[in-house]
Amino acid sequence: MAEGKDAVPLGLRVLDLTDEKASFCSKLLADMGAEVIKVERPCGDASRHIGPFWGDIPHPEKSLSFWHNNTNKLGITLCLESKQGQSIFLRLASKADAVVEAFPPGYLSEIGLGYEVLSKENPRLILASITGFGQTGLYKDRKSCDIVASAVGGQMYVCGLPDCSPLKPYGQQSFYAASLFAAVGILIALRERYRSGRGQNIDISLQEAVAATVEHVMIRYFYESIVPNRQGSLHWTNSACVLPCKDGYILVTFGREWDTLIDLLDSEAMAEDLKGEKWRDEKYRRQHVDRIVQVLSRWTTTHTAVELFELGQSMHLPWAPVSSPEEVTNNIQLKDRKYFIPLEHPEANASFFYPGFPVKFSGSSWNIWRRAPLIGEHNTQVYGGELGLSHEELTQLYSKNII
Amino acid sequence: MQEGALNGIRVLDFTWLLAGPYATRILADFGAEVIKVQSKKISTGTESNVSGYFNTWNRNKLGITIDMTHPESRELVINLVKICDVVIENFSPRVMANWGLSYETLKEIKPDIIMVSLSGMGHTGPWKDFVALGPTVQALSGLTYLTSYNQGPPVGMGYSYADPLAGLFAALATLVALEYRATTGRGQYVDISEYEAMCSLLGPTILDYSVNHNLAVPRGNTSEHMPASPHGCYKCLGDDKWCVIAVFTEEEWHALCQTMGDPAWAKQEKFSSLLRRLEHQEELDEFLEQWTSNYTPEEVMNMLQETGVASGVVNSAADLANDPQLKSRGFFIQLHHPVLGNTNSDGTPIRLSRTPARYRRPAPLLGQDNRYVYQDLLGLSEEQFYQYIEKGIIT
Repeated sequence: MAEGKDAVPLGLRVLDLTDEKASFCSKLLADMGAEVIKVERPCGDASRHIGPFWGDIPHPEKSLSFWHNNTNKLGITLCLESKQGQSIFLRLASKADAVVEAFPPGYLSEIGLGYEVLSKENPRLILASITGFGQTGLYKDRKSCDIVASAVGGQMYVCGLPDCSPLKPYGQQSFYAASLFAAVGILIALRERYRSGRGQNIDISLQEAVAATVEHVMIRYFYESIVPNRQGSLHWTNSACVLPCKDGYILVTFGREWDTLIDLLDSEAMAEDLKGEKWRDEKYRRQHVDRIVQVLSRWTTTHTAVELFELGQSMHLPWAPVSSPEEVTNNIQLKDRKYFIPLEHPEANASFFYPGFPVKFSGSSWNIWRRAPLIGEHNTQVYGGELGLSHEELTQLYSKNII
Repeated sequence: MQEGALNGIRVLDFTWLLAGPYATRILADFGAEVIKVQSKKISTGTESNVSGYFNTWNRNKLGITIDMTHPESRELVINLVKICDVVIENFSPRVMANWGLSYETLKEIKPDIIMVSLSGMGHTGPWKDFVALGPTVQALSGLTYLTSYNQGPPVGMGYSYADPLAGLFAALATLVALEYRATTGRGQYVDISEYEAMCSLLGPTILDYSVNHNLAVPRGNTSEHMPASPHGCYKCLGDDKWCVIAVFTEEEWHALCQTMGDPAWAKQEKFSSLLRRLEHQEELDEFLEQWTSNYTPEEVMNMLQETGVASGVVNSAADLANDPQLKSRGFFIQLHHPVLGNTNSDGTPIRLSRTPARYRRPAPLLGQDNRYVYQDLLGLSEEQFYQYIEKGIIT
């Protein structure tokens, strides 16, 4: 596999102006070898204040969200609100393939760094913008965040228990979905650039990113006039749900493999009336799912999650224990595939295991080799090396608080 | 005529269900020629060509049929591989190898072929043959465990969220492999684990365990990683109508209070700072809900957004279809299907300015493009084509 020296990195240079909404986009590119330069304001990006924190102490260099979403990137500081900062950014943009940004719509234009200006400087440049509601439309200037995106994108309405409030899925999922769409968009624009020689801009809305990942919701509405509702862990097909067991919870399915499942229950004399012929009809089962859940959970509570997992998988049933992050971290499959990657934090004199990259290429580069940058860590390397600024110029920029 | 960004790229698509088709739909939306391979036997249920599910995930693709269990089908597939850039599949790891279509084999036939495998657990490791659907992966990754109300059993998401997200990884990986080929002239094999993809989307929390040994717990609708209060989902006027409100700063808190008409309860000392509000979260939520329940979610959203507070309607499917913002951006598109009539679906959220996605045709009927693919692209004569049909290979 290509985490070794022969791997070919993604030949891209990306300037990352994002906050927490989209830093995962350029992280994806950086983990595949792109040279990503994170451009932060002189005091560091606000996303450094998002937890959890190393040692549970809020600190801009200890944000684990920042650590995860900024692996492999270089980090520089730059005040984009100053004239000098803007001209430095234009110089950087002239050598870049892509810029990823997450400012409110119109902000970059206001400070003289809109797409027209950037593309005049570098016609090949691809600009990806990620915002709550997109660059156009009635709501473009509205405020968003993960819970707002989850709500307006149609995710929350179908998550949660029927008699409780809608429930937001855990962990800033809207940011990750939007980041993935943006990264795919950048690669599509890159392919097109081979033909036209020109870049373009990409407009990603958190709302649309969420709405595009709600699976059954719009299909059932458009084709069957059904407004899907909340039904807890019960899958909308009424053929999978989470049930309690002796020591935790297990995700079980009761769809296509019905006969196998009933044999299992019957071998322990716990199939009750589900043995009956009428239950073999999938449609009947969907209509009487409450009874299935009742009988099944009487059985699952007599077993441990691992017993059920092994039993189910041995019968080719797609069952799984409901796992905690601790169990994820110790999982043998993930370990065998070397999913977790140790990363040095020299200033902490420590090495931590990170979630790795879920795609294994045989030729392209994929790995995590450098922790997120400290604030302004690569100023000298980028400004001195890349742009050829002298030591005096750098000192002057520091003193003016531009970097 | 404007060209699609991915024109000239041909994909042999063995994917089915959701994750794989989601990936290839993205490629097809941007102009790649995606040839979906089906067999009569599995084209049932959600894989039936005339189901809404199938039509949604397979627009813009060509459809061919082939009976992979027929001994002579392999030769035909091999010839198709020769004229394609990418082969993509999301079967269990055994399947392609059993058909004699492993990457090692395909590479000998076409050295620069790109092969993408998307599976639940990945193609290596002790669990590689485990069966997994979206909810399986969601349970294993920690997402189900963490998505719940503050106390009480895990709820998770009642649909296959992991599938479209894994599909996005697969689309990204395919494009990166094409980039690699453009640079080096070489193909490669790509192995994607849906389980790992979901874990990567819970990165900060997994890191919190790995670094701090903190045991994360479900947080309901509170803000997981950034202190915010109020932050939650509140009942509004109407049947099952809800809004969300998120307040991160004092400025936003004051704006919220002002919008509510500065009620006396909000002036209490126990709500006077973010820390204090977090301590009295439940009580605060009750007061706030008394206010929101006088208004529709749209009214709450409009009033609060006006003053700079993040707020939104908890959109149902019907709300989404009529959402003013999605409407003004033309998010939903229409395609005419020969059997299903006029059909609606969401367009792509990837909005390219110069070479946008184009919605050219609905999903194919079973074998609709057999003649075009086998004769025009592959060059089979009329006679050869009918021989394959007679033998039951092209079905």
